[in-house]
Amino acid sequence: MSPRGGLRRAAVLIALAAVALLALVLGIAFGAVALPLGAVVHVLLHPRDGGDASTIVWALRVPRVCIAACVGSALAIAGFLLQGMLRNPLVDPFLTGISAGAAAAIALGVALGVTAAVLPALGFVAGLLTALVVAALARRGRGLDAERLILAGVSLSALFSAIVALALTRLARGGSDEILAWLAGSLAGRGYAELAWTAPYALAGLVLALACVPALNALRLGTQLAGAVGVDVALAQWMLLAAATMLTASAVALSGIVGFVGLIVPHLARRLVGSDARVALPASALLGIALVAAADTAGRALLPPSEIPLGVLLAFIGVPTFLFLYLRPPGSARLWGT
Amino acid sequence: MGHLSARALVPSAGGRALLEALTFDAAPGEFVAVVGPNGVGKTTLLRTLAGVTRPAAGTACLDGVATAAMRSRERARALALLVGDGDAVDTLSVRDAVTVGRYPHRAWWDWGIRDEDAGAVDGALGATGLQPLADRPLSTLSSGERARAWIAIALAQEARTLLLDEPTSHLDVRHAQETLQLLRGLADGGATIVAVLHDLNEASAYADRVALLGPGRMLSYDAPRVALAPGVLQAAYGVAFDVVDAPTGARLICARRA
Repeated sequence: MSPRGGLRRAAVLIALAAVALLALVLGIAFGAVALPLGAVVHVLLHPRDGGDASTIVWALRVPRVCIAACVGSALAIAGFLLQGMLRNPLVDPFLTGISAGAAAAIALGVALGVTAAVLPALGFVAGLLTALVVAALARRGRGLDAERLILAGVSLSALFSAIVALALTRLARGGSDEILAWLAGSLAGRGYAELAWTAPYALAGLVLALACVPALNALRLGTQLAGAVGVDVALAQWMLLAAATMLTASAVALSGIVGFVGLIVPHLARRLVGSDARVALPASALLGIALVAAADTAGRALLPPSEIPLGVLLAFIGVPTFLFLYLRPPGSARLWGT
Repeated sequence: MGHLSARALVPSAGGRALLEALTFDAAPGEFVAVVGPNGVGKTTLLRTLAGVTRPAAGTACLDGVATAAMRSRERARALALLVGDGDAVDTLSVRDAVTVGRYPHRAWWDWGIRDEDAGAVDGALGATGLQPLADRPLSTLSSGERARAWIAIALAQEARTLLLDEPTSHLDVRHAQETLQLLRGLADGGATIVAVLHDLNEASAYADRVALLGPGRMLSYDAPRVALAPGVLQAAYGVAFDVVDAPTGARLICARRA
């Protein structure tokens, strides 16, 4: 990148990091129970003091913003990886069938009376298995075929959605509420335990994603060119898919189906910093953190004591923003960021 | 460094042999043009020489090592293969795209852009006249500008052997001449250049040797004066040709009106 472009990109990344941090701080400061800001700061600085405020901040809000950060960055990075690898701007991380597979497994689990604590793990494993089946169907030679991957993902998703619908229509009211909560996407009721067991998978996905960044830039220019400059295309495709799958499955286990983040955030990031994965991937992660943390805080604080599900709120905020950005009258904005 | 050779090579695509066994070689300092009608196997020959397409028989070697057996990054350092860009319209900036050409020079997981990488990218942008467009997204370029960006990617690889598939086909006259002059200069500096060209006059003016492919076999592999003679050209294309010596010393090859 040119020196000036490099400086601009660095400045945007720093600004995004500040926004993400602000969103996390707001998530700790605000919630269903109104706490004075001074009390929150005091509790944060003195974790051993105890008391109601300490419990609310340390047992509820801190793990919750950590989960928001994990879910937001995981979905945004997974979306960025898949959009670049498949060279398709309409791809989102759930396209590989992960969310539908997880939802179907959880719906069946609820129908069979599986205890609630096991559901996230059940969703995680089902998501991974679904992605494996989709990848097996999408194989061509040693590598993966973008079109086959999309077709397999969409087909399997349709099948699993039917299973969810069947479970919903056959179930007693109590069970269907639980399934619906998963489908709407929410961070409610998750804590350190869920975070602790999903984090290793998310981290492994992240490391794999970071290692694939140079190959990802080459793959944007097509598999032929990537091969010509020395990328092992098949290996890079499998690594990228594995990274996206682990990140997405972790996010689904933590939050259910939080749509839209994985689709819109990579677009916004590329608009802000360009398509070079070295900058656009960190930018996607930071934007994902900011968006999910802010939306989750709003969902908790807007209508206390009830919560607006995260997935619902994100769609309400995200869709109009996205449409405004991309469907403005021609000439008023340059269309880049696909 | 950069001696490309193949003996009894049978280029094939999709399991079907396209050309009879052929012998091919290109030495450092040489500019070889590959010409012939559509669909005759020019691109396949290029890809087979580069080791990315398997031949039905024979082996293509670079400095005695089979190109198909080389590790992909090692091969990309020694040999740049410029493939058609297809529909590769992306939002990557021109500079970022050309930086992709540095991929084989770093560890595969390494994000870093060292001074030598930046230097090679700047050199490639300068050589292709893309410096003013460096920060534009590829998707906003014309097809000719994009073709030059693809050449710049191959140049940024800094390989001593360049195999180029129709490097001039989208270019206007001036940029085509500049590109050919650039390749000629690289050859004169000791690089090995093999380029598929459609314009017979370009091949005649710039190449040291021309491989003329006809239906099913290589008809001639010789100096332009021999390989681009009217008789053999007619055998390749099924069209009659006139070859005229211009007062400037250039040879002009024209298809005769049907």
